[in-house]
Amino acid sequence: MTATAPLPAHGAAPSDEIARALDLARAKRWLVAAVVTILCLWVLVPIYLVLVNALSTPSEVSGWPKSFVPSFAMESLAFFAGYRGVAEALLNSVMVAAITMVLSIVIGAPAGYALARFDFAGKNAFRILVLMTRAFPLPLLALPLAVAYIQIGLDDTILGLAFVHTMLAMPFAVLITASLFMGVPFELEEAAWTLGCTRLQAFVKVVLPLVSPGIAASAVFAFVVSWNEVFAAAVLTIENRTLTAFLLQSLNVSPLHLKFAGAAVLVLPALLFLFAVRKYLFAMWGIANR
Amino acid sequence: MRRHLTTTSALATLTLAAFAATSAPAPAAAQELLFWSTQARPVEEAQGMREEVLSGFEGGAVDYQPQDAGPFITRLRAETEANEGTIAVVGALHGELTAFADAFADLSAIDVSAASPALVELGRLGTDEQRYVPWMQATYLMAANRAALEHLPEGADVNALTWDQLIEWGRAMEEATGSPKIGLPAGPQGLRHRVVQGYFYPSFTDSMVTRFRSDDAVAMWETVKELWEVTNPRSTSYNFMQEPLLADEVWVAIDHTARLAEAFNQRPDDFIAFPAPAGPTGRGFMPVVAGIAVPATAPDQEASLALVRYMLQPDTQIATLRATNFFPVVDVELPEDMPPSVRAAGAAIALQSGAPDANPGLLPVGLGDLGGQFNQVYVDTFERIVLAGQPIEQVLDEGAQELRRIVDEAGAPCWAPDAASEGPCPVE
Repeated sequence: MTATAPLPAHGAAPSDEIARALDLARAKRWLVAAVVTILCLWVLVPIYLVLVNALSTPSEVSGWPKSFVPSFAMESLAFFAGYRGVAEALLNSVMVAAITMVLSIVIGAPAGYALARFDFAGKNAFRILVLMTRAFPLPLLALPLAVAYIQIGLDDTILGLAFVHTMLAMPFAVLITASLFMGVPFELEEAAWTLGCTRLQAFVKVVLPLVSPGIAASAVFAFVVSWNEVFAAAVLTIENRTLTAFLLQSLNVSPLHLKFAGAAVLVLPALLFLFAVRKYLFAMWGIANR
Repeated sequence: MRRHLTTTSALATLTLAAFAATSAPAPAAAQELLFWSTQARPVEEAQGMREEVLSGFEGGAVDYQPQDAGPFITRLRAETEANEGTIAVVGALHGELTAFADAFADLSAIDVSAASPALVELGRLGTDEQRYVPWMQATYLMAANRAALEHLPEGADVNALTWDQLIEWGRAMEEATGSPKIGLPAGPQGLRHRVVQGYFYPSFTDSMVTRFRSDDAVAMWETVKELWEVTNPRSTSYNFMQEPLLADEVWVAIDHTARLAEAFNQRPDDFIAFPAPAGPTGRGFMPVVAGIAVPATAPDQEASLALVRYMLQPDTQIATLRATNFFPVVDVELPEDMPPSVRAAGAAIALQSGAPDANPGLLPVGLGDLGGQFNQVYVDTFERIVLAGQPIEQVLDEGAQELRRIVDEAGAPCWAPDAASEGPCPVE
């Protein structure tokens, strides 16, 4: 731009301007709609394909052309209903994930609060240190962990596995809650103190209600981390297998139609859970009906 | 907000309840024998092992747990190091068991006279004790869609094919259909190293290790490159050849019998099994052996031994064949009503091992935990020469160096088809 454009003359020009603005707005709307559609398809198409194939007969699954309407053949899914240990494994998975959720919030949220509110020596080092638990691959950690667990009797317990999953979920819990607490102005807490609250009361009555949707969201995240973890679960549990440890390694090498049916069995409970807590997830992204 | 809080607290109560439920003492579980295995991992096979094979064991309930090699090894090592364990019986391939020779109890007390002596010898793992006993065996075979047979080159007998005829066949199929119809299991989980070790090398060089880098080997890789030209390029994603066969993506393939079984079982009339092709030095093929061992840390040695004995009984061996498509290691009379995959493979195996030019290449012996690195050399060589098109001599020189280092470090003497050696197997 070398010279400032002359101001539009009164008359025809403003309508040009308006038309352009309208065009821009329309283009923007289209762009948003397109991005939203692509993102939705990105998530929904794989899930849809899994479900269609899970509900098809083996020959339909490996055959061509593919039908996009399921024939509602239940034989692949029925296999898993009769597969010994699926129900127990599902229960174990839910319990491990639930404990992981509780532990990572109970331990992670105070750490997040400290990171958000206090300046202390080694704060940055602590922030990095929290992330370090994700820096070591689990196959490396699993051997010494398993040896220690066998020796202290935590081996093959749901609680023991939940400890490991908590460690994996912790960095997210700490960092997400830290940013949540940072989003609540310190002045609100101070105002509560001046009105006679103790520190604890101010936290419980003022800060907690404001961050609880976000905390729930990071709890959901911990749940998903635990639900998806395979290696530690496969090594550290024997009789108390989680669903992923129980099925995933077998599915990997199973015929295609059972892969799809198994994927449906693995995905559905997590989907249902996420659906049940979806409004907390929305809250984390700031579109809650607060 | 009120609503949020109630739901939150409801969630919390739920999880706390779950917490309480788990910390309560678990009901005393019946003493189950844990069968820790890398075999029969596909869900249907695992189900078959549980319901048809192990349910007949009278010495107690057996918990059959098939695992990926990673968790399998980690858990076994952890129990060995902690000197305390829950695994009663271990079942795995020969190559996976070799690393744990010291962790297993001596099984000399088990009667293995019915099993093939060569397999029993493998189970000693180079010691004078029986570290594992053979459990089941398989091999690699060719499978073809019947539609492919009409394109078979003139004068070629599908049961006595040569590698050159296979290439010609592939070319004819490509011309007729417009797409390459030969498939190799060259995917990340595919058993491509076995095809190179047990099929290419013995067929062209009468060797697996010693003549790895010889003029014959150079000529062999030239032929493999020709084969690749008529091979479906999607082979680099094939792990189990039964899937592209069933999808009609390829018509002719080579793979492990257990990884072809589904094709025969789903469409028995459409597929045939036949022996691997032969080269200038015979019809190379590789028998696959799985063994059972008892860790020294098993909670109840007697019960474990009883389970091992049970696994070797003829009836159990037949049930195992039905469940896993792995063949018995002891002499048994096969009943008539076996699944199509077993009938197809059984006949082809007999033809393959009984062929006048049969040249078996055994599984590596005595490499210990270097087996993985050994296999990697063959995978790398295949990928560099065939996929990346690198100069054959140079790749073979580098591979031979690596191979020499591995074999020397393990101190492993030669195994078939290489001639027996004093000391580590030489790499020319």
